[in-house]
Amino acid sequence: MITTKRLVAIAAIASAAALTLAGCSGSTGADSGPIGAAPTKLEGTVSLWHFFSDREAAVIQSVVDDFEKANPGVKVEVHSGQDDTKLTTAIASGKPVDVGISYSTDIVGSFCSSGAFADLTPYIKRDGVDLAQYPQVVRSYTEYKGTRCTLPMLADAYGLYYNKDLLSQFGYTEPPKTLSELETMAEKMTTLNADGSIKTLGFNPLMGWAENAAAHYGPSAGAEWLNAKGEAVISQSPGWTELMQWQKAFVDKIGYDKLNKFTSGLGQEFSADNAFQTGQVAMNLDGEWRTAFIKDQKPDLNYDTAPFPTADSHTDLYGGGYLTGNIAGIGKGSKNKELAWALLKYLTTDTHAIVKLANGLGNVPTTKDALSSPDLKLPAQFGTFLKVMADDHSMTTPPSPVGAGYQQTFNDFWNKWQSGQVSNLQAGLKTVDKQIDDAIALTKGP
Amino acid sequence: MTTFVQPTVLDPVAYAPRRKARRPSAVLLWIAEHALLVALVVMFLFPVVFVTLTSLMTSQQTLTGALWPNPFTFQNYAKAFTDAPLALWFANSTMYAVLATVFMLVSSVPAAYALAKLRFPGSNLIFVAIIIAMLLPPQVTAVPVYVLWTQVGLTGTLWPLILPNLLGDAFSVFLLRQFFLTIPPEYSDAARVDGASELGVLTRVIIPMTKPGIAAAAIFLFFHSWNDYFGPLLYASENPSAWPVAYGLATFRGAHGTDWGITMAMTMIVTIPIVVVFFFAQRVFVEGITLSGVKG
Amino acid sequence: MAVTTAPERAAQVAARSAHRRSTPATRRRTLVALAFCAPMLLGLAIFFVYPLIASVYYSFTSYNLVSPPVFIGLRNYIYLFTQDPLIGTAAFNTLWFVVFLVPIRILTAIGVAGLLARARVASGFWRTVFYLPALVPPVAATVAFVFLFNPGVGPVNQILAMFGIQGPLWFNDPAWSKPSLVILGVWVMGDIMIIFLAALLDVPTEQYEAASLDGANGLQKLRYVTFPNLTPVLLFALITGIIAALQYFTEASVASTVASGKASVGEGIGGSMGYPDNSLLTYTQWLYERGFNNFQLGYASALAVVLFLVASFFLVILLRRVNAFNPEGAK
Repeated sequence: MITTKRLVAIAAIASAAALTLAGCSGSTGADSGPIGAAPTKLEGTVSLWHFFSDREAAVIQSVVDDFEKANPGVKVEVHSGQDDTKLTTAIASGKPVDVGISYSTDIVGSFCSSGAFADLTPYIKRDGVDLAQYPQVVRSYTEYKGTRCTLPMLADAYGLYYNKDLLSQFGYTEPPKTLSELETMAEKMTTLNADGSIKTLGFNPLMGWAENAAAHYGPSAGAEWLNAKGEAVISQSPGWTELMQWQKAFVDKIGYDKLNKFTSGLGQEFSADNAFQTGQVAMNLDGEWRTAFIKDQKPDLNYDTAPFPTADSHTDLYGGGYLTGNIAGIGKGSKNKELAWALLKYLTTDTHAIVKLANGLGNVPTTKDALSSPDLKLPAQFGTFLKVMADDHSMTTPPSPVGAGYQQTFNDFWNKWQSGQVSNLQAGLKTVDKQIDDAIALTKGP
Repeated sequence: MTTFVQPTVLDPVAYAPRRKARRPSAVLLWIAEHALLVALVVMFLFPVVFVTLTSLMTSQQTLTGALWPNPFTFQNYAKAFTDAPLALWFANSTMYAVLATVFMLVSSVPAAYALAKLRFPGSNLIFVAIIIAMLLPPQVTAVPVYVLWTQVGLTGTLWPLILPNLLGDAFSVFLLRQFFLTIPPEYSDAARVDGASELGVLTRVIIPMTKPGIAAAAIFLFFHSWNDYFGPLLYASENPSAWPVAYGLATFRGAHGTDWGITMAMTMIVTIPIVVVFFFAQRVFVEGITLSGVKG
Repeated sequence: MAVTTAPERAAQVAARSAHRRSTPATRRRTLVALAFCAPMLLGLAIFFVYPLIASVYYSFTSYNLVSPPVFIGLRNYIYLFTQDPLIGTAAFNTLWFVVFLVPIRILTAIGVAGLLARARVASGFWRTVFYLPALVPPVAATVAFVFLFNPGVGPVNQILAMFGIQGPLWFNDPAWSKPSLVILGVWVMGDIMIIFLAALLDVPTEQYEAASLDGANGLQKLRYVTFPNLTPVLLFALITGIIAALQYFTEASVASTVASGKASVGEGIGGSMGYPDNSLLTYTQWLYERGFNNFQLGYASALAVVLFLVASFFLVILLRRVNAFNPEGAK
């Protein structure tokens, strides 16, 4: 008979099992012991985990093939289509993840502090990797609190795309340089249907659609997210207030419901019916990869690019934009760290490899040498993004232990703001700061 | 003692066969009911019809508001297999569903028999535990179980979803138990008297008599595994070669973004096998459901 | 002096033996039963008892899967109840589905079953049509529905426009996204409809005839004959429906992913969770996001513990009726 005593015993055994298993999970911290001398010959198998798929995965494969050719005796096992969650799970479960590539900088904060990615500083020092090759902003998003556990592998830069045909149709030859100009031009270029609904838009200011996210607009007003201590300072950074008030006024002028209805009917962002590519939206904020998509899906589109307009009171910032990028590191459980480091170094510092990746993926090269390489075969419109990459006013979103969670919190608030549910903007921003600080506090130990 | 029975004489008026008079209100009611049924049928078939129509449109046409395919594009069905590893997904789903079902039967039939037919101390407690386990949201137990599987190193495969069936499935045990309860004890008693062991009773008496019930439980688990989304999301998403159909369909993003024509074709392809299985197993299926819900 | 007769004495001895647990036959039977149940018991221990206890343990820690769990006491719970910005929305959305999705599905199922019970012509056809949608994999059904209800190019709004009606934005409108999922839920109500149909057909006709003889009209027959016979099935459908609504994940998650149109490479399902405007963010999605996307497994465990307590509340109601699952005389 199952007596109470037996139940307690069962519970006790089960809890003991739970505790033991919990204790078994993962070793403690990153191994920061000294590394040996660089190996003279590389051989063995190394695994590469990345998030690309289909066409883009083929580009990675070609670069991997080059690495294998240069190092006979080395075999690279490629795992494609792995997003951050899968990467984390793989590392945590002790799978041999030698080199992992993430599509964004979200994991840098947590991976560097937990040791999921190994500290690269000893390797960088030993092999004399020149970090000055990377622009300052790019360097900043690959490390967290002094630990550099990733190196940048290609970057993304954001700017303004504009449809030259549509612009000239309304008498414009130059793209807008300030947000007011953007709004004025967009208004002129918006056409309506007979029933008053929107037919085409000059510019879609609706936050949450496609690439309209707070992070991508921040650089237009020099708006800050976190301070040096990692605390949220959104309410203290005047740039955000300026941007939000401009954006809401713009949305209200078009009409929130009208705009929402129009936006809901637009096509999928990465398909052939992308709104900019079909001409439904004349000007758009987008990343440099769009040039590759246009070349692939609508090569006859007459378009050009320019740095994204800045706020009226921050014209000195013009030329910059939002930067982020892919990052790569060596997994904690890697059994062959030297081989992993060799592959990582190749992907992130070898000019030939970076140029090949940039050409194939349509992303921005990260090293100064690659940026000025004559082998870059990118569309003319790509030039804007190379400049944005090198511009001093470009900004990124700082790494944090909650990954991109803090951006999510702010975007949620901005959505409420633009739909008119917020009466006191300042108070709301202060609440956002508190929510971000609380979330970060939860990740800290006792 | 004999009783003399008077033949009863039936009252001709009271017991004359009466044809049910079709009063006008009854006819109206019949018409109203059937009109409603027809309307409902139209609404219920509406999605099926339009999914089929869309699957026959070119991808450009799906982006317009057109309702009728022009031209009829059957390539979507072929492309569904080439644009996405649909055949691989089917293979994974089949492996998952078949193995899960077989494992479940091996482990759950004896357990259900014990709970239904063998009176033993603790059986009530176990039954209660099974009900709780059956009704508990999987997300409640997801985290620790997931950690467990990462330590065994089986994440990235479907095995964390298949193997637990070797240790019984709560819902299946519950269902099978209800079926076994309907077999009168005389049959198993007779077998025992003949000297059969409990295993013998189970295999030679009970199982043959409850084949429809066992089939119903098997079909339930098969469908549940086939349609499972959260499980593969948790365990197989990191490894595209392990994706089953349910997960692949939701996650499929073609190289050029969402192609609705092909997506709808895939939806049809994914649904048709289930419908076919249902047609063949209809009676068993309905019996299985009603027995589990009605005797409550 | 009371004298027990011999037969009575024997009966008393026999009765006492029946209560004694250690006759060889009973012992053997118990062993065999436990042997039969052994895999099941092991399964319960590993996949039910252990995770419950472990979840409670993890909920008091901060655990990111890569490093060992760190004990932080009640901090997760404090955050859950006072600081989590989206927990209220997630809980509200989930309860919304419990309150609206479950009864609407059940009422529709009863209504359609009622119609089917009375239909004599082509009853097999009707039954198949209404049951078929329940066979479509939920993911496929959701993807199809999001497309059909696309505000711009979907057939639903096109047809409404033909009648001059301006269709809403359905899955893209925070006010309509949940009702749109209710429509989907109604479309697949065949699975419980079939149970109600069987129950309705099972009602002994004598009861109806007796009621007729007593002079009951249609409505009274419904109330005094039909409804009491439906009660067990109704309770079953209600409880399982509520439990399913508390776990609502797949349809909401897939609808958000497809409707948001943001096929973001590498971002998984986190990018569009709850779209539009967190209106489809359910409790279990939030649990998944915090645990598996934000690497806060300790907090996710706290969320799971709270969910378990809420589900237990409904389970207690069901357990009161668990004896109803044992037909008389079988136990």
